[in-house]
Amino acid sequence: MKKKSIALLMAACLCAGMFTGCGKDTEGAQAAPDAQEKEQTSVVSTVFSGELEHDVTIQVLENDTAVSKGYFAELIEAFNEEYAEYGIVAVDANMNQYLDLANDGPYGYGPDVLYQANDIIMQYAEGKHIYPLPVEKMECFDQIPETAWAAYRINLGGTAYTCGVPVNVQAPMLYYRKDLLPEDWEQVWDENGNKIPDMAENWNAMYAFSVSRHQEDGSRYGYMKSLYDVYFSSGFLFSYGGYVFGNNNTDPSDIGFSAGEAEKGAWVLSQLASTMNEECIDDSITTNAYSKLADGTYFATITTPDMYSTFLSEMALVYEEEGLSKEEASAKAEENLVMTTLPALPESGDLTDENAAFFDAKSMGGINGYAISAYTKHPNACLAFVEFATSYDRMVRRSELLGVAPARNDAADTAGGTSQLLYDNLEAGNIVLMPSIKEVSQIWTPGETFFTDLAKDAFRTEGEKKYTDLDAMKKGLEAVDQQIYDAIFTLK
Amino acid sequence: MRKNLSAGKILDTAITYMILLAVAFVFFFPCLWLILASFSKSGSIYSFDGFFPAQYSTASFEKLFTDTTMYNYPKWFLNTLLIASGSCALGTFLTILTAYTMSRFNFRMRKPMMKTTMVLGMFPSFMGMTVVYLLMTQFGLINHLGGLILIYASGAPMGYLTQKGFFDTIPRSIDEAAKIDGATNFQIFTRINLPLSKPIIVYTALTSFTWPWSDFILPKLLLKEKNLYTVAVGLMSLDETEFARFAAGSVFIAVPIVILYFCLVKNMVNGISEGAVKG
Repeated sequence: MKKKSIALLMAACLCAGMFTGCGKDTEGAQAAPDAQEKEQTSVVSTVFSGELEHDVTIQVLENDTAVSKGYFAELIEAFNEEYAEYGIVAVDANMNQYLDLANDGPYGYGPDVLYQANDIIMQYAEGKHIYPLPVEKMECFDQIPETAWAAYRINLGGTAYTCGVPVNVQAPMLYYRKDLLPEDWEQVWDENGNKIPDMAENWNAMYAFSVSRHQEDGSRYGYMKSLYDVYFSSGFLFSYGGYVFGNNNTDPSDIGFSAGEAEKGAWVLSQLASTMNEECIDDSITTNAYSKLADGTYFATITTPDMYSTFLSEMALVYEEEGLSKEEASAKAEENLVMTTLPALPESGDLTDENAAFFDAKSMGGINGYAISAYTKHPNACLAFVEFATSYDRMVRRSELLGVAPARNDAADTAGGTSQLLYDNLEAGNIVLMPSIKEVSQIWTPGETFFTDLAKDAFRTEGEKKYTDLDAMKKGLEAVDQQIYDAIFTLK
Repeated sequence: MRKNLSAGKILDTAITYMILLAVAFVFFFPCLWLILASFSKSGSIYSFDGFFPAQYSTASFEKLFTDTTMYNYPKWFLNTLLIASGSCALGTFLTILTAYTMSRFNFRMRKPMMKTTMVLGMFPSFMGMTVVYLLMTQFGLINHLGGLILIYASGAPMGYLTQKGFFDTIPRSIDEAAKIDGATNFQIFTRINLPLSKPIIVYTALTSFTWPWSDFILPKLLLKEKNLYTVAVGLMSLDETEFARFAAGSVFIAVPIVILYFCLVKNMVNGISEGAVKG
């Protein structure tokens, strides 16, 4: 009897536990964010008083490339020298670049200043893990375009706060090997005679070249990229009218992967997939592109500009194996590797259209920048670091060493080349910034499923294909929209 | 008749060996592949000639120990060694004490304590990770290798049942004889039972060492700084283009555990036989 009573009591406890998540939010629970918002309104002016904390150490988290290429060591050394009179010392936070500030920050672990992509920073901003910044007072404010600032803006209680300082623009770039161009490319593959191969100028030529290169040698390919990767593939949809969220990527109830003529973008992707191998179905190509481009198996691929140095190293290794000295190999790699903006797309979406009219392709991009942890004890020293790190000189140096595109106009001007092109693309609206709202985390899985299926279609028999025409592709994209909507709102 | 039996026996042996070889191959092949991959000259999995590297060199191992700007493998290795050794020493001590107490002494709540530890031992250890994390933050033991040693060592006595089983096999009559000769409990433990328990001490030490040596979840949870990483966490943090370094690191981490095993296995066997004679 006693055992039965205990069992009943335990069962009742379990049931009670199950119901604790049900019911509406209490007024008290709603009142808490309001109080926090009011508190945040005064944060910018009270926290960042302008009075530097003396004799303090601030921990800075940079990205791995900046650390490995020596830029970060140079940056903190220069900062420490500049602020030696205040006793402010910046040190490497010595943490994984993919940190978890939301969980570690409240317990006092985590960096004071962090360098992350805009979507990550804004997720922290929504959780109030980072401080809004007095960006209007910063020297770099006028040099950075509004589009970039907008990526770091959050609206709370009707007031807009800026929670990060843009440092560099990240968007897909086309990488190709100049030395793998056909010998007669200037006669055959440069229709407009501008000394730039047509493959780098429009996707139709890239498609044609990929087909011919693979036909000549079955083990070699032209353009190669995993379709699976939503970050890179979605740009093709955006170019034809698709988008992620409506109202400038702020309204998660309006999902637009199928908007406009996005299905044409899917068609372009499926045509490109037909010139690749089955590795485009998963992320194999994303991982092996560095070595495969280096050994000449692939002619071209797309990825972000910060991977430029990785491609260079891989190519130099191959040249060294061929008998060149280290210096010669590096020089040859630099000469032969070209990084440029994405080729133009045909209006019809048909890559075999010989009389196609072309337009600039859009791509999904991001703005990497600095933010200040809300758990720092030295906000003014942190702000001084961010000011220093985003100054003209530092941004130019960063671009020189890492090959990244600065978000500052003057630094992009000085850097020139692809940095300037990327900056111009950002201003022209050809780089669709990754949404800065937390619902963006729900777009990846449905997107990956669709693109995987689309890639598989290229290797299915005619009767088994799922996306046989534009209508089928449209329906597939509409299903993606619905899946994302369900993922966001079903349990909301 | 005799000939038939012999043929059956041969067939039986052949089939047994074939099955054993097949099973051994299934387990050995991934290890062989990883070892060969770690000696790949190109360092890239995608330049393999079929399933194995086209050319071999020790460059990956050299890079593992010399290129420490981003990935400080030697430091991770030392951290792992420190944690595993500390946990091994403290954990073995606590486990043997617990097992001996439970085996040799009768006291109130002994049975309920045994039952409770047995039930608690059935829960997966990562179930309490959130609580462990919160406790460690309160004690200020995040980012401290000592914190990990403490957790591993204090968790080790939960698995004392094997050791208790061993102590149960040592006849109590030896203890009683010693007591008659005037030995204290401490003397009985240190001078009689411990020397007889060499195999189980070696077994306990080996398991107490291997668990922290290869554990991932706890160090990942408690160590935030790269220089404090253990090898398991460090290898997981490698960039996707660092396959050769990953393979070399994975192979090298097995070296100490293999050496330790070969050093201790002799003691284990000797101890077992000694125990059998005396028992």
